[in-house]
Amino acid sequence: MKKRFPFAAVLMALFGASFFIVPLIATFYFSLKMTRGELGFAAYASVFNSADFLNTILYSTIASLIAILIGAIIIVPTAYWVRLKVPKLRPVVEFISLLPLIVPPVVLVFGYIRLFGSNSWLPLTASTFGTDVLLVVGYVVLSMPYMFRAVDNGMAAIDISTLTEAAESLGASRLRTITTVIFPNVRAAIISGAFLTFSISVGEFVLASLLNRPAFGPYLVQLGQDRAYEPAALAIMSFGFIWGCMVLMQMFATRKPGQRWLLRLTTRPAQRARP
Amino acid sequence: MSFLSISNAIKTFGTNTVVKGFDLSVEKGEFVSFLGPSGCGKTTVLRMIAGFDRPTSGNITIDGRDVTDLAPNKRRIGMVFQAYALFPNMNVFGNIAFGLKIAGLGKAETEARVKEMLALIGLSHLEERYPYELSGGQQQRVALARALAPKPQVLLLDEPLSALDAKIRVSLREEIRAIQRQLGITTVFVTHDQEEAMSISDRIVVMNGGRADQIGTPSAIYNRPSTRFVAGFVGTLNVLKARVDRRNAQTVTIGGKTVQLAQPVESADAQGNLSLALRPEALSLLPSDLRDVTFDGIVKSVSFMGSVIRIRMDVGDEAISFDMFNSPNLVAPLIGQKASAHFASSDIFELSA
Repeated sequence: MKKRFPFAAVLMALFGASFFIVPLIATFYFSLKMTRGELGFAAYASVFNSADFLNTILYSTIASLIAILIGAIIIVPTAYWVRLKVPKLRPVVEFISLLPLIVPPVVLVFGYIRLFGSNSWLPLTASTFGTDVLLVVGYVVLSMPYMFRAVDNGMAAIDISTLTEAAESLGASRLRTITTVIFPNVRAAIISGAFLTFSISVGEFVLASLLNRPAFGPYLVQLGQDRAYEPAALAIMSFGFIWGCMVLMQMFATRKPGQRWLLRLTTRPAQRARP
Repeated sequence: MSFLSISNAIKTFGTNTVVKGFDLSVEKGEFVSFLGPSGCGKTTVLRMIAGFDRPTSGNITIDGRDVTDLAPNKRRIGMVFQAYALFPNMNVFGNIAFGLKIAGLGKAETEARVKEMLALIGLSHLEERYPYELSGGQQQRVALARALAPKPQVLLLDEPLSALDAKIRVSLREEIRAIQRQLGITTVFVTHDQEEAMSISDRIVVMNGGRADQIGTPSAIYNRPSTRFVAGFVGTLNVLKARVDRRNAQTVTIGGKTVQLAQPVESADAQGNLSLALRPEALSLLPSDLRDVTFDGIVKSVSFMGSVIRIRMDVGDEAISFDMFNSPNLVAPLIGQKASAHFASSDIFELSA
């Protein structure tokens, strides 16, 4: 029997998609109208020519990358240790990792200011470097739910306890096991977590604004107040950037060891027949 | 002095004692299998040898050295796991070379040893493949080569064939035994498959409830089981209620028939009741001079099992089962038909404990 075309389903899907696509098209169209009477990329050029844009994006990128590095160093061994030695504590650790989603960033940053203010025992906010450190720590905390979940899921996908035992039976120390066996096998998960962290922290507003740091988030808000077309151009660029991160995440997550990044036209002889 | 020795090992997890005073001595080059049902403690003992679990009390020595408190990576043991546990980020070469690199072997030496191992397992052409590109049997061969490459003192195999299909399982177990003989490596093999244990072991340790019920050659375990559990777990068994007139006598009554045993019975209770056992292959529908006892009964079921036909028969209050080799000319008895099963009284053995 010939199947009928699912008109209703397609219509519903298009209706749903329009909520997402129409504002995007409208924003993109608006961003092209900076020069009166013609469509062009003047708003984009204006953004790129702005020293503030370049400085803030560079600052946020560096802060985010440091946060990713620190997050990975803390979270990978923690997730590994919990799964290997204290699996019963995993729900507790998972709950702790989710706290940043429950506690608003504004509470977090006021806590920091109170704890590390100029009158405290460790006056981090008294210096620029100290405040930068606080911002990075804040990014690490904000990224915890995403990083922990990505890494923990990566570890669930491989049997880390058996792999650890296999490595140890071959003479490997615990450190060597982590660096040569565990870390490479959860690399895709770490990278996924890293992209998520990056996409969140690079445009983060609350922490950077309340700590008064020259980050990209506050710049975006400021630009939105001062200009008309550039914010639209930035929104489109941010959208493209986030999607780029998603594509990279997907590529890393689905790539198998020994697989090429670009598909070969012919298959490897080893992959053809499997006796 | 034995090469691998486990003395009075006890292992407790919380309040649960999994291994209850386990003793074993394994000679150099011997192939010993731990056989038992799930939860009997066989894997726990293996893990204690490997160092992954520490005994609550007791000690383990390898080549005269006490390794009870030694870390797993210092024990020089090779282990093959049920789930292969190949490192997914490394290809076949990388997996086999892993232990050699840790041992500090040079590049040329490592390469030569890996190639030797690949030749041993017959997978020289697959050194560049990754685990996900291999079949289960191939992965387990690589796991075996990886465990053997650093020349361990003891090879531990934790149900390595359980995840494989029946045909591969048989061929790989023969391969494992051949390689073990060739290298002369002391091996401990854990399985719950009695046929597997019987076919490749020098000795079998039948475990039950955290203890070794019997340690012996496959033939001794099968033909002279020392406990009721061993007799029941290894192979199938006909348990016959018998009665002896006086203790230590060799004459018993089974199903109204008087049978003269080869040895005096020892396990009869005060009333003279005891249990005797008979393997299915000891019974036959065909009489012969050697089969001096005959049971008459009624056929209750006939099961075709390929190479053998299993027949269940009611003899008075007892139910017995026995196997006949299948052949195209064989006429199997029909259900409900009267039949006679013959056996030699010397095949009867007593069930103790």
